[in-house]
Amino acid sequence: MRLIDAASWVCLLAPLAACALIALAGERLGRRACGLISTATTMVAFAAAVAVFARMLAEPSAARAHATSAWTWLQAGRYHFGLTLLSDQLSVMMMLIVTGVGSLIVAYSVGYMDGEDEERRYFAYMSLFVFSMLLLVQAGNLLLLLAGWGMVGLSSYLLIGFYQRRPEAVAAAKKAFVMNAFGDATMALALFLLIEHTGALDFASVFARAPRHGTVAALIALGLLGGAVAKSAQIPLHTWLPDAMEGPTPVSALIHAATMVTAGVYLIVRTHPLFQDAKAVEDLAAGLGAATLLMAGLIALVQVDIKRVIAYSTMSQIGYMFVGAGIGAYPSAMFHLMTHAFFKALLFLAAGIVIHALGGEQDIRRMGGLGRVLPATRALFLVGSLSLVGVPPFAGFFSKDSIIAATLTRGAFGYCLFAVCLAGAFLTGLYSFRLYLLVFGGPQSDFAREHLHRPEGRLEAPPSMVWTVAVLALGATVAGFLQFARVWHPLTTWLAPVAAPLADASNRQEAVASVASVALGLAGIGVASVLYGARRRRAPRPLALLEHRFYWDELYAAVFYRPAELAALGLARFVEAPLIAGSIGELSRGLRLGAGELGRAQNGLVRSYVLAIASGVALLAVVFLSTR
Amino acid sequence: MHGPEVTWYVVLAAMLFVIGALGVLVRRSPLIILLSVEIMLNGSNLALIAFARHVGREDGQIFAIAVMAIAASEVVVGLGLIVAMGRRNVELDVDKLRTLRG
Repeated sequence: MRLIDAASWVCLLAPLAACALIALAGERLGRRACGLISTATTMVAFAAAVAVFARMLAEPSAARAHATSAWTWLQAGRYHFGLTLLSDQLSVMMMLIVTGVGSLIVAYSVGYMDGEDEERRYFAYMSLFVFSMLLLVQAGNLLLLLAGWGMVGLSSYLLIGFYQRRPEAVAAAKKAFVMNAFGDATMALALFLLIEHTGALDFASVFARAPRHGTVAALIALGLLGGAVAKSAQIPLHTWLPDAMEGPTPVSALIHAATMVTAGVYLIVRTHPLFQDAKAVEDLAAGLGAATLLMAGLIALVQVDIKRVIAYSTMSQIGYMFVGAGIGAYPSAMFHLMTHAFFKALLFLAAGIVIHALGGEQDIRRMGGLGRVLPATRALFLVGSLSLVGVPPFAGFFSKDSIIAATLTRGAFGYCLFAVCLAGAFLTGLYSFRLYLLVFGGPQSDFAREHLHRPEGRLEAPPSMVWTVAVLALGATVAGFLQFARVWHPLTTWLAPVAAPLADASNRQEAVASVASVALGLAGIGVASVLYGARRRRAPRPLALLEHRFYWDELYAAVFYRPAELAALGLARFVEAPLIAGSIGELSRGLRLGAGELGRAQNGLVRSYVLAIASGVALLAVVFLSTR
Repeated sequence: MHGPEVTWYVVLAAMLFVIGALGVLVRRSPLIILLSVEIMLNGSNLALIAFARHVGREDGQIFAIAVMAIAASEVVVGLGLIVAMGRRNVELDVDKLRTLRG
């Protein structure tokens, strides 16, 4: 086995081993040990991913894709689906993000979850998630990718519902699972179509043989888009993501910001040849992304839960990625995915420190003036916010602007996207600095003064929590320099054999987009500082439309939940009660009556039994004799 | 072949069996019932030996010996039960022993 294959397998299986070990060892492992095992294996996976990357660097760019099969996983008739891992430029990038950011977040969890009940379960789930995500990005065929896709949904479900005694957490977990299952189903349908038309599911054969145009091509792309939209929380399957914030904060950082929710972008980039055959679906992806980024930005303006604000900003940023992937700017989308993983994990983990310091409080109306007591957290949060808004030289600037510039290459539709993206940039500045100022700025709130528990002379948080966030802040600051417009683009070159960009913005377009988006972002920051800085009392009242999050939940409740509930109630009343429950009652009554009658035959008289036996034997004798 | 035809033996065996069966059915004393069961067994033994001699093979005799062994063990158990009941002053009447009524 070549080193690159071995390293791929190590990368995939190390977190699984940790999960199995923690799950099977149970109480024999200490609480602290579980966290350390989980962290160590994720770091081993990261090291393996780095090894794969390093080996790949030494190879010529055309020969960097390596497939390795363990065995034929599934065989049905003429179809063989191997347990195949594919290591190429795209998957190694995702492996590095997942394991790199993942190991930092798992390390952070050691401090965050310290003293929590059932820490072991948490770390087992966390390792399971890392494994599932790696399976998703390393899968060498679409079937294995779908398996990873489903397992990621499962571990997300388990972790959202981690606080299983809280009804809201359980409801949120269920909601996330159901919405993701919807996406899984459309994706499975797309795979069935692909099997029918190409007879295979490995990427190369699928891309070579897939139908080039017509309804089938559109349906396949639509099915895949359905999966991507559900997993990445885009309109119309987005309502689960804000509720998913019921999980522990590191979970929100790892699953619902850095990795899992970006899987939809990965899927589109990975299967982009299928999307290119269906222009309408591509445009739909970009349009949904644009709609989501605008809507999520608006809703984020009025949210009062610190994590939900960040959750909506996640939706909004993934909207940018969808716009990028939809218009064919694949490297830009992947670039934004990477920088977003850094600064969004940073924001969540910094928010986690705040929540930790306030003993679990998440309502920003009760926070304020925390900058003085948590100065390091404030600085880290500021880095994350600036990166999110896209202020140069932070990472978000480079990646977001390359997407915005790419929209200019797509004609009239592109101009619409461009306008929406710029509006989104303004909203991003507004909501992220509203959050920052409300939490850290202004005078210290009464609640904070009472509840802030920090023994004198201690750090703001356990060291494992601070240094991980600091590393992420470093990433959020420098990761952007990986690529700058047309001047310096190693990432585009790296991804070119897998996903060459279709949209190439000119220097002028890049400049226009950068200037416009930075100006609007700064304008947003300015408006936020006027509204929420010194005179926060005069902040405008939120619109009801925004407070109800555009009534999506109410819409789904009215369209799907209420009819289903009514139908169930009707069936219970008119079918279940009389037919099913009633028939069972009748049946049991009849049986009891019959048994009572039959019981009389057993009268305890030996002679009657003997008579029965004798007459039976006589009868049998007669029967045998007469039928001979 | 000496002696009467096999039919006579079988008729006698059937008579013994029926007498025994009637005894089991009509009598109430467990002791007499046990005795009647013995008569039934001997009726069947007689049939077995008669047929063995008629066919000219020894299988029937072997079976008869087996039946005798079983009858002996059955008597041991049955008489033991009856003696135990007598010792406990249980009335020896099968119609009164109806505790297994359903």
